Amino acid sequence: MTSTVNPERVLKELAELWVSQGKSGHPEEGEPQAGVLRACTMTLVVAEEDDRDWSALGETIAALMPEHPARAILIRLTGAGDRALSDRVYSQCWMPFGQRRQICCEQVEIAVSDAGLPDLPSVVRPLAVPDLPLILWCRSPRLLGMPEFDAIGTTARKVIIDSGGNLALADVARFAARGTLLADLAWTRVTRWRETLSQLFENKQNLARIQALAEVSVQHAAHFGNSAAYLAAWISNALPNLKISIAPDPQCDSLRLALWGEGLRVEMERRQDRLVVKVNGLSRCSNLPLLNDYSLMREELGIVRRDPVFDQALARAVQLAYANS
Amino acid sequence: MPSENPLQDPLRFERQVPECVVVIFGANGDLTKRKLLPALYRLAYDRRLSAGFAVVGISRTPLSDLQFRDKMLEAVKQFSEDTTFDADVWKTFAEGLFYVAGDINDAGLYQRLAARLTEIESARQTGGSVMFYLSTQPSQYASAAQGLGAAGLGKGKGWRRLVVEKPFGHDIASARELSDRLHEVFDESDVYRIDHYLGKETVQNILAFRFGNGIFEPLWNRRYVNHVQITGAESIGVEGRGAYYQEAGALADMIQNHMLQVMATIAMEPSASFRATSVRDERSKLLRSIRAMTPDEIRRNSVPGQYGPARIGGQDVPGFLQEPGVSPGSQTDTYAAATFFVENWRWAGVPFYVRTGKRLPKRVTEIAIQFNPAPLAIFGEGDGDRSPNLLIVRIQPEEGISLKFLSKRPGSGMNLRPVSMDFNYGSSFGERSPSAYETLLLDAMIGDATLYTRQDMVEASWSVVEPIQNVWRETKFSFPNYDAGAWGPAAADEMLARRGHVWRKP
Repeated sequence: MTSTVNPERVLKELAELWVSQGKSGHPEEGEPQAGVLRACTMTLVVAEEDDRDWSALGETIAALMPEHPARAILIRLTGAGDRALSDRVYSQCWMPFGQRRQICCEQVEIAVSDAGLPDLPSVVRPLAVPDLPLILWCRSPRLLGMPEFDAIGTTARKVIIDSGGNLALADVARFAARGTLLADLAWTRVTRWRETLSQLFENKQNLARIQALAEVSVQHAAHFGNSAAYLAAWISNALPNLKISIAPDPQCDSLRLALWGEGLRVEMERRQDRLVVKVNGLSRCSNLPLLNDYSLMREELGIVRRDPVFDQALARAVQLAYANS
Repeated sequence: MPSENPLQDPLRFERQVPECVVVIFGANGDLTKRKLLPALYRLAYDRRLSAGFAVVGISRTPLSDLQFRDKMLEAVKQFSEDTTFDADVWKTFAEGLFYVAGDINDAGLYQRLAARLTEIESARQTGGSVMFYLSTQPSQYASAAQGLGAAGLGKGKGWRRLVVEKPFGHDIASARELSDRLHEVFDESDVYRIDHYLGKETVQNILAFRFGNGIFEPLWNRRYVNHVQITGAESIGVEGRGAYYQEAGALADMIQNHMLQVMATIAMEPSASFRATSVRDERSKLLRSIRAMTPDEIRRNSVPGQYGPARIGGQDVPGFLQEPGVSPGSQTDTYAAATFFVENWRWAGVPFYVRTGKRLPKRVTEIAIQFNPAPLAIFGEGDGDRSPNLLIVRIQPEEGISLKFLSKRPGSGMNLRPVSMDFNYGSSFGERSPSAYETLLLDAMIGDATLYTRQDMVEASWSVVEPIQNVWRETKFSFPNYDAGAWGPAAADEMLARRGHVWRKP
């Protein structure tokens, strides 16, 4: 470990990594090429506190790699201490089922103290893969509140945060106002709910009654408050005349939604990895496991452009939160 | 009433299926059990189907709704290859499964079906939209359509669509006659002729690869492409379907539909948009541009084959003539190869070699585009491998794309060797790819016919294949002419050798 990081040395180590991976592969019968295949669609920078569960994070990134192969740069935030940066370089490989060749993605881990944060952008920029988007996944609410975050954020095409913890939606809106392409995993958590609700109005009979809907109620588990606000805000943007109520419910495992009006009642509830939908008493059950970081990131990494529906929902959710306070 | 759903979010939502009923004729058949129900269950599992979605199975066997549901439950458990079975999802899905027993030629069946659809529409709010899926003997297609028409089921409150499986006739005249009969009840735009090859991810990816990238299209013509090989190989034999297969043969069963559709996708001109009509217009135009050969040309440019007995992996494998249900002395082609030429400015003079067969060494479907060598050979014979550049589009079993090019072998001197740059669907995108039937059923329910075959395409394909069939019928071949487990008859190798080419061994 050194107290500084030389990006050129890291790049050289990455290159050497591929050479050694290539040598370790066995030439195929009649095919003289190396035994590993390199894959990359983006640079994924992940910032996380040192004292959090890094093995779980490693598993999440490993799970993401087959679908979103990336050069992953993991920023380990070590907190107080001298102005210091350190690094290590390694690869993550997997053998696709039924194939003979490994697929490998490269990873760089950089430990940085709070005092070293101003140096971070100058390290990340040269390590980013040319011509491919850089996505920053900031898992540390503390970092979000620090002035250095802006400098790191500007290196990214898209910044992903999760306001599902303690972050107020007003703070999310402030980040978004800086012009960053922002994603909030609390919003991503409601995609399948929104999709299922939308699906109901592909039915012409239901669509004919949509304007008769009068009220919507969203109940939520403690840590789903912002997701509930997003869901209600999105519905409110589409159907502005609805009376909206959002309330916590300790019995609820994530969210519970009800919309009603003349001739139409829709209820949606998640129970034991299944989403149960009732439309005027007719029920339908489908698969809906509780989304983990992998599932949420998998969706967000697939969208590297502005999401106007999210922007509008965020603005409305802030209004709803303000009205409720 | 709003005309559009205000809760749409196309950036994040999957395409959504409107409320409808799928009526499956031949609900006791293999296709329903192995493909259709598992695909529909998977769509339900993935939240793709609407709350009121329903299936009505039709077959001659008397069954109650409950008995039909039990049968389909077994089928879904047995044939859902990569889907977890979820009893709760099944329970609500199965509540939408119904059954009507009857003979396709009996007018009473359609009356009972009409009554059942009315009940379902009212109970499940399906809005009157119905998709009829003919998973029956091809000889029953016209009767089924006529029966639906006579009972007034060809039109209704919602949309009405008809999905038919291949074969679409056995020659141009029969294909045309079938279409005429279907059109008496359904408009051509409501007839969905399914070719499951077109539902495969890689076949769709050909369009993305060709028309989403700027770097390949300039090379996609006679100036740079030396020839194209399209292979659809199966390692299995006729698997108990000898009686059916000897009426069809490899040329009609595979080349007339799957292989020519794949060829059309690889060779078509860019369409003006990705709308169904534009894409299908271009595919159709390409099929019409394939030169119909004269009898003499057919003898030089096509090769039928039939496998004989052999030992594979220490096991005795019967020849086609030894398969159950096959007539002694049958002249059915279990292998077919042909050289096609496309008569347009892009492809003039470029041979498209197409082959398909049963009991070949492995199951593989792929397209290999061989490019011309560099115009000036600055490297000598002694400078290593001089393999041509190849672009290989693999359709099955592993979907992906490989580009083969020459590179300098590390070390002193100039020694070249081929290297392969691979893109593999399974590994580059770890996400489960939907099965071809999931894709195609979903498309038909949504009303997207891009991946379906149109009548003019069917006729254009028959125009290419029928003259070959006619010449083969008039010729007595010395079958079997290849051993089970080999890459086809020697005559197929000779067909390529005449132009200085060799078949790839995928």
